[in-house]
Amino acid sequence: MENLAAEQSILPVFVFFGAILLLVATMLGIASVLGERKQTKTTDLPYESGIIAVGSSQVRLSVDFFLIAIFFVIFDLETVFIFAWAIAFFELGWHGYLAVVVFILILTIALIYEWKSGALNWGVKSQTARKETS
Amino acid sequence: MTGTDFLALSPIIALAVGASVLLLQIAFLRNLKLTTGITVVTFLACLFFLFYITKLNHQTTPLLLVDPLSTFFSIVFVLCACITTFISYEYLKNRPGRNDEFFLLVVLATMGSIVLTYATHLASFILGLELMGIALYGLIAYPHQDDMSLEAAIKYLVLSGASSAALLFGFALLYAITGSLFFPDLLSGLASPEVAVGPQSPFWARQLILLGSALILAGISFKLSLAPFHMWTPDVYEGSPAPITGFLATISKGAVFAATLRLYVIGEFHNFPTIVTGLTILSIISILVGNLLALRQENIKRLLAYSSIAHFGYLLIALIAAGTLTPNGISAIEPSAYYLAGYIFTTLIATGLIAAISSSNNEENANLSDIAGLFWKNPLLALCLSVSLLSLAGIPLTAGFIGKLYIFQMGVEAGAWLLLSILIIGSGIGIYYYLRLIFSMTTDPSSSRSTLAPALPVTVSLITLTILVLYLGIYPQPLMEYLLWNT
Amino acid sequence: MNPLIIPLSHVLMLAALLFTAGLLGLLIRRNVIFILMSLEVMLNAAALAFVGASAHWGQTDGQIILLLILTIAAAEVAVGLGLVLQIQRRFKTLDLDVVSRMRG
Repeated sequence: MENLAAEQSILPVFVFFGAILLLVATMLGIASVLGERKQTKTTDLPYESGIIAVGSSQVRLSVDFFLIAIFFVIFDLETVFIFAWAIAFFELGWHGYLAVVVFILILTIALIYEWKSGALNWGVKSQTARKETS
Repeated sequence: MTGTDFLALSPIIALAVGASVLLLQIAFLRNLKLTTGITVVTFLACLFFLFYITKLNHQTTPLLLVDPLSTFFSIVFVLCACITTFISYEYLKNRPGRNDEFFLLVVLATMGSIVLTYATHLASFILGLELMGIALYGLIAYPHQDDMSLEAAIKYLVLSGASSAALLFGFALLYAITGSLFFPDLLSGLASPEVAVGPQSPFWARQLILLGSALILAGISFKLSLAPFHMWTPDVYEGSPAPITGFLATISKGAVFAATLRLYVIGEFHNFPTIVTGLTILSIISILVGNLLALRQENIKRLLAYSSIAHFGYLLIALIAAGTLTPNGISAIEPSAYYLAGYIFTTLIATGLIAAISSSNNEENANLSDIAGLFWKNPLLALCLSVSLLSLAGIPLTAGFIGKLYIFQMGVEAGAWLLLSILIIGSGIGIYYYLRLIFSMTTDPSSSRSTLAPALPVTVSLITLTILVLYLGIYPQPLMEYLLWNT
Repeated sequence: MNPLIIPLSHVLMLAALLFTAGLLGLLIRRNVIFILMSLEVMLNAAALAFVGASAHWGQTDGQIILLLILTIAAAEVAVGLGLVLQIQRRFKTLDLDVVSRMRG
């Protein structure tokens, strides 16, 4: 019974969805049927009546951006576990506290490793690390 | 957490502490010898704790069950990881670049394999699986100047990720029906088709269970590289650095199989005829495809890849026959554990020797021509490789023979005649290509320019493994009794 | 029994659709980045199914699995992007067919 009620309650959403599709299709359809086509040298520019683009869009980004992004993905998700702990802080008590301390300790060790191996340096990679290579 | 909990977890804790120490050591002082030393000490400490808890049977939180069987598997894995460390040091010491992190990843992957072996809950299962998998992506891609290893790593990453996703989705479907992620409760009470839990009709519940189990089966088959989910195996084995080929073929697959064995027995999957039929088909295709495709291989790594596909096909027979022999499927444990241990030691000799040849020449040597004339150049190690190949072929006096005999006997008792005939055909084909390798070792040594001069630790570990394989083949009673007593 | 507004079967169907979409993307696409994205879609489809089932049973287990899946996906993608960088450097392309040279 509940299922039936739920199905009825989302029926309007589907109607809305269909209406949107219909509207967009009509607008695009009418425009393509009635609209006129003109091929001038400015037609294919990104901004047909705006400023003319300068340079290439294939700009080479430094690999450092990638590296920082990867670190962000990793460290960003570690906070998920800390949040999960924080919500249940009182229930978990000292056990939970110790577990989180160990967790953060391991994260710190990883951070120290990244720092010392030069992954956080911008531009001059691996110089510090190579010096230490015996 | 009680004292017993900590004791039960001590091997894992030892590896975790070791990994942290390694990370700090690499950060402050890069020294390959020191890194290797710390890795070996970590593994020895882990082995010490594992031997200390061999008799312990303790459920540590719902996540991990420490019992003698999984401790036995863990001992095998850590021993092999330790030997892999020796082999890797030889392999890496003359190579340019920063090689220290290699050992860190080996420790992490081993930790993943132990967690996987002890897992009784989806959370620990998936954590162990991914800890091992993600460390292995790094290890496979380690010689990143090499095009082949990059290709192997990205293939392994994509397919392993996809199979993990299938596995997870399958578990999600089972969870939607039964509301439990704990292996013993996963399918409890669902064996009888009348039982339906949840809002679905019994029909849909049964379909969802079947779909979920099929997805789990497919995911696990990918990880165990059972045909027809085996496509990645030869490429990944060929592209990986030789020590990691060994790791993939032994510890990684062994840990997944150990976890599957436990899931199968504890989760009582053998009560589902559809799953058993699926396993039978997988087993038959794996044995045939593995053995037939191995015939034409010139690259030893690829040959071992196909041979491992076939061997896991043999191993499945134990799982299939178990359901008909005992109602709780427990009889699968003893033969498959014995077979797996024998297979792991045997394969590690072969891959270790390839790694030793590769490190002596500082390139990837895994072609048939690279072992040509090995008997004249290094008779001792050639003998080791011969024992290993004979064991893989299942010739008497080796661990492989006893393992196969065990599985054969089980098949006879269960009356699985189709599987047994496939097993015999497969073994017959297998003898041909294993002997072909042995013959190529006796050819004229001048046809091969590769040398073989491994350091003492590698030689000693390969000989130790060979003695183990022979010991298990000649005098199998102690291990059999140990396994029988613990199941 | 059923605290969900949306029935569980709908959630599972959506998850199955997402999973299929991811699988198709994985099989059809040749660009490594898109393959990694398809992988994410597949993992997240599984996560969605877990969350739906967990809400259906009124348990938190499935939500914890969601956290694990998120972490696993992040770790996998971090390693994957590292490989993508190396592939771009070595092969000057991200087309997996070009990268793939071994038979099989």
